[in-house]
Amino acid sequence: MAKEQKQVRELQEGSYVMMEEKPCKINAYSTAKPGKHGSAKARVEARGVFDSKKRSLSQPVDAKVWVPIIERKQGQVVSVTGEDAQIMDLETYQTFTMRIPDEEDLNPEDEIEYLEYEGQRKIV
Amino acid sequence: MFPGATADREVADYVLLGAPLDISTSFEPGTRFGPNRIRRFAGSFDDYDRRTDQFFTDLRVHDAGDVRAWDDAPEYVEWLAGSVRDAVWDDAVPVVIGGEHTVTAAGVTGVDPDVFVCLDAHLDLRRAYDGNEWSHATVTRRVLDELGVDEAVILGARTGSPDEWERAAADDVTVVEPEAVPDWEPAFDGDQSVYLSVDIDAADPAFAPGTGTTEPFGLTSREMRDVVRAVAPHADGFDVVEVNDRDDGQAASLAAKLLREFVFAHAAGRS
Repeated sequence: MAKEQKQVRELQEGSYVMMEEKPCKINAYSTAKPGKHGSAKARVEARGVFDSKKRSLSQPVDAKVWVPIIERKQGQVVSVTGEDAQIMDLETYQTFTMRIPDEEDLNPEDEIEYLEYEGQRKIV
Repeated sequence: MFPGATADREVADYVLLGAPLDISTSFEPGTRFGPNRIRRFAGSFDDYDRRTDQFFTDLRVHDAGDVRAWDDAPEYVEWLAGSVRDAVWDDAVPVVIGGEHTVTAAGVTGVDPDVFVCLDAHLDLRRAYDGNEWSHATVTRRVLDELGVDEAVILGARTGSPDEWERAAADDVTVVEPEAVPDWEPAFDGDQSVYLSVDIDAADPAFAPGTGTTEPFGLTSREMRDVVRAVAPHADGFDVVEVNDRDDGQAASLAAKLLREFVFAHAAGRS
């Protein structure tokens, strides 16, 4: 598994964390003051990288969580068919098909960046 | 636990969150005791509501306890907003029990409504009070100017500074003075999301003396009840705030009853 363990306190907005066994990107991180009895807690809100689902966790800041190691790669658009694009990885020359994000307008020859994690890919 | 709030969190339709913030109360302090006092004075109420023919214990209300407060308002509001958002994401209605009115910013942040309806003696439209931008006297201004609410309706307001009245004259604010509250009827578009905040000082001090900044010539308990009943079916979030421990339970009893009225009316409106 491409993931590592970190403490909750090491997380920050914009970084990744595993929630419900899905890689998620953190969009909010807040901490509570513990008072005299108890340990500081942090609350992390994140959105699934590949499924876009909102998730949250609330844990002591010294708790361990899994952080996915998501690779950011370069690709080139080979062809566009409807909502899908055929992409060639610029390092391995491997080609595969990916869904084009709604807000993107891609044409052949365009260079793109994409995220890859355990066989899942997403254009960013 | 709030009496009758016996549902498990996983199945709850209403999630109660105590928010005992008490850092900017400007006259008489004690809102830190509000949540537990409201829970305590809810102990004498019947489970059954004859008007809507419902039992409170059937309405899947969960009391999540208090979200411990500390002395940094923006940090606390951000933290509390997370708990509110968790409830919203679970398709439950958050019910925040204050605490000073500042905690409403967390409720509104979590719910993200279009319309903010507020029962309050004060306009709470100040930019700052005693130099504090996070004072409880600034909450409605924050909701309007920073939290993406399109309009505010302030019911029962009877005092404010010249600057506040000037802000209140803008198109996105409606002030309904106490005398006009009995004739007020909500007029929301069907798809508008509404948040209802009850500052207990909207009531005349005769009905709710246990609050930080009492303001005579206020609303009666029944007038407040009727507003809550009218707005609740449209609301996606609710709070009741500014109750302290400086009376014999009148303010807490009214707050607890209005909270229950909200839940009964909201549930009846959904079914």
